[in-house]
Amino acid sequence: MPPSNPAPEPDRATPSDELPGPLETLRVLEIGDRGEVAGKLLADAGADVIRIEPPGGGRSRHVGPFVNDDPGQPSLLHATRNTSKRAVTLDVTQPAGLELWQRLIGRVDVVIDATPPTFLDGLGGGWQWAAAQPDLHACVWCSITPFGRSGPRRDWAANDLVQLALGGPMMSNGYDDHHLPPIRPDGEHSIAISNEYAVAGLLAALWMRNAGHRGQLVDVSIHEAVSATTEGAFPNWEYLGRLVQRQTGRHASPDPSAPWQYLAADDQYICLISGGLPRGAPAWSGLLDWMDEHDAAGDLHDPQWQELLHRDPRAHPEARLHVAETIGAFAQRLPADEVYRRSQSLHFAWGIVRRPEENLDDPHWADRGFFWEGECPGVDHPVRYPGAPYRFTRSPIRLRRRPPLLGEHNHEVYVGELGLSSAELRAHLETGVV
Amino acid sequence: MPPDPPDPPLPLDGIRVCDFSWIVAGPQATRILADLGADVVKVENESYLDSMRLGLQQDMDQPSLNRSGFHSNFSRNKRSITANLHHPKGREAVERLLAVSDVVIENYSAGAFARMGFPWERLQEINPSLIYVSVSGFGHVGRDASYGTWGPSAQAISGATAMSGLPDQPPAGWGFSYLDHTAGYYAAIAVLMALHHRARTGEAQHVDMSQIESGMVVGAVPMLDYQINGRTYERIGNRSRHPATAPHNTYPCAGDDRWIAIAVDDDTQWAALCDVLGLDALRAAPRFADMAARKAHEDALDQAIAAVTRERDPFDLMLQLQERGVPAGVCQRNDDKQERDPQLADRGFYPTAPHAELGEHRFEGIPMQFSHARWRMDRGAPLLGEHNHAVLTELLGYDEDELATMLAELAI
Repeated sequence: MPPSNPAPEPDRATPSDELPGPLETLRVLEIGDRGEVAGKLLADAGADVIRIEPPGGGRSRHVGPFVNDDPGQPSLLHATRNTSKRAVTLDVTQPAGLELWQRLIGRVDVVIDATPPTFLDGLGGGWQWAAAQPDLHACVWCSITPFGRSGPRRDWAANDLVQLALGGPMMSNGYDDHHLPPIRPDGEHSIAISNEYAVAGLLAALWMRNAGHRGQLVDVSIHEAVSATTEGAFPNWEYLGRLVQRQTGRHASPDPSAPWQYLAADDQYICLISGGLPRGAPAWSGLLDWMDEHDAAGDLHDPQWQELLHRDPRAHPEARLHVAETIGAFAQRLPADEVYRRSQSLHFAWGIVRRPEENLDDPHWADRGFFWEGECPGVDHPVRYPGAPYRFTRSPIRLRRRPPLLGEHNHEVYVGELGLSSAELRAHLETGVV
Repeated sequence: MPPDPPDPPLPLDGIRVCDFSWIVAGPQATRILADLGADVVKVENESYLDSMRLGLQQDMDQPSLNRSGFHSNFSRNKRSITANLHHPKGREAVERLLAVSDVVIENYSAGAFARMGFPWERLQEINPSLIYVSVSGFGHVGRDASYGTWGPSAQAISGATAMSGLPDQPPAGWGFSYLDHTAGYYAAIAVLMALHHRARTGEAQHVDMSQIESGMVVGAVPMLDYQINGRTYERIGNRSRHPATAPHNTYPCAGDDRWIAIAVDDDTQWAALCDVLGLDALRAAPRFADMAARKAHEDALDQAIAAVTRERDPFDLMLQLQERGVPAGVCQRNDDKQERDPQLADRGFYPTAPHAELGEHRFEGIPMQFSHARWRMDRGAPLLGEHNHAVLTELLGYDEDELATMLAELAI
């Protein structure tokens, strides 16, 4: 088994934490329960993001898991989605709350509005109100809703499961056995996907505004974001009139393909992408040498296999299946990590199926500074948050603040920045406006 | 008749992207930028072709680099030039393009673009304000940077595969390259953030993206749960662990492999569900009386519901449940989405556009609408080298004679 790769030389391009993020100077308000990831992406990039929550806290504070599994303790869902933000409480359904909300909008570049489609407009503090205020001409208003702000199903009820069903990904995910249901991957991906699109959209609108145009509404539909995230299912129907069929642990396809996910000798799954089939002579010889070490090459030394697969892979499904099964049977005899690292050293892009937390111990991610060590409310030791998937060399994305407590920045924002007196803030706290 | 009002502007009009991306992850990023109005110029050659041109052919018996519907959907609104990097004049044309671009993006294996002659230092010499975004499996920095991924292996390593599937079955994973999509989404975000940074400071930079990291971010909660509560991740199928609600699952319906997702969030929705399904007995049963009780008897609950949904048309049932405010959705196939989804149709999510060889087809739109701007769906993917003439003469300053020489010498 090849040893793990050595640690690299210190990277001379490692960005200093002292540098500002790419969105330093951007000011953002975030309200509602479906836009927290968008707010986080902006906040980690240096924007000043203030999350507005009702006095009882937004949804994520009430969803587990909780610190020490105690529902009275902070939520880990909230922690992961609210790094680097500030947080204030506000009941916008009360007139005094609405007025504070309107005053806050005057101080920002962007509003992320993830409340239901007509909620804020119904109160007189939504996009329609903002668009009519001359002094809010530059405001970019990014709305994130389950189905968009128009259309016959605008007000339909949906959660993550329903969105991933309607948008199509589920019909591609599952098992060869279709008595088993289509599968919704865990992790609220419909929020992630739509929020990624929302950030792209609002940054594009901001780009326009900075070029001299007015601010505007960006109306993001979660249903459409999910619908755009199914890869081959769309062109198969559009160009060939074919529907893809789900298969265990591999790409859905109109035609069945050879398996590529196996249980290795140490009970961990491995992913032999595209059946593990070698492409080209060097790949074949490297693989056969490795199989020979375990006396497991079977009849694969017979040059006919290489020829059949090389000539026209589509024309010989039975040859592909035979080679894939022989390779799969070999790989199952080895521990998963050995399959992963040896195959990668031979330039096969095979994978190991890790649980998410197993990546915490892989030093490659530490080399990249991917995990951000910091404080988590309610926890008496530092934790490592997964960072950002992009590594900016001149304007680092990083953990700027730990996730905020409920209403933690009420005084700072309402008194320090909006100019309320301490007595006014106290009165608002007593009446539940804040 | 009054003249048509002028089209609203495209948000990224005036931004130019030199696009060395291929397959899905990179093209997904530049597709967003092109739809939003950037001038995206794909640079290819036989030795570094976007091999997705060979994927999903309209006519399997007559494969063509210009007739892949898959490629057309991912590279619509872009332009294409061919340039031979082994010929000095071909290389010079690419360098001229880099000199007039705001962004260069590639998703080769780590190090490949430098070996093609474009390390970051060289890019800075050619154009000091050029933003460079690289997308690779493990990123360009780190001890395993030489390792490679495709979508499924990246999903496996990241934890995304393990988080998908039934508890008593192997991982179901994702039936497509999900992380090719999201790596592309994050790369588009990275381009826009880097543009904002450059506009404010004048500073360009290299952004090093890792496809696996774009999957790890979605495993954030299990990572904290492990560090704080010592819990290792276990699959939950289509149920909901947090919040602990039930029923929350997929249920079989009438028809071949038809399923409906139902997610009840409170007792009012539970009562409505029982009404619509005609399950008065279920509603009256003490073991299903409240959320905690339903959660405690979830297997029996799901069996009882499935026994009646089996007889129901999935779309009728969805409409009836939605009318009562119960979150419910059919597990839609692409024919459902493209031919029968009134919401997607009403919002114009599948606009049509022409393609030089594939004809008129629908494309997946961008999932947003702007009040004072538009996104575009002007045309399908460019034919290989379709814009050699336009780009080299109008943009890069070559005259007709120079162009003819370059063609004759196979420099382009």
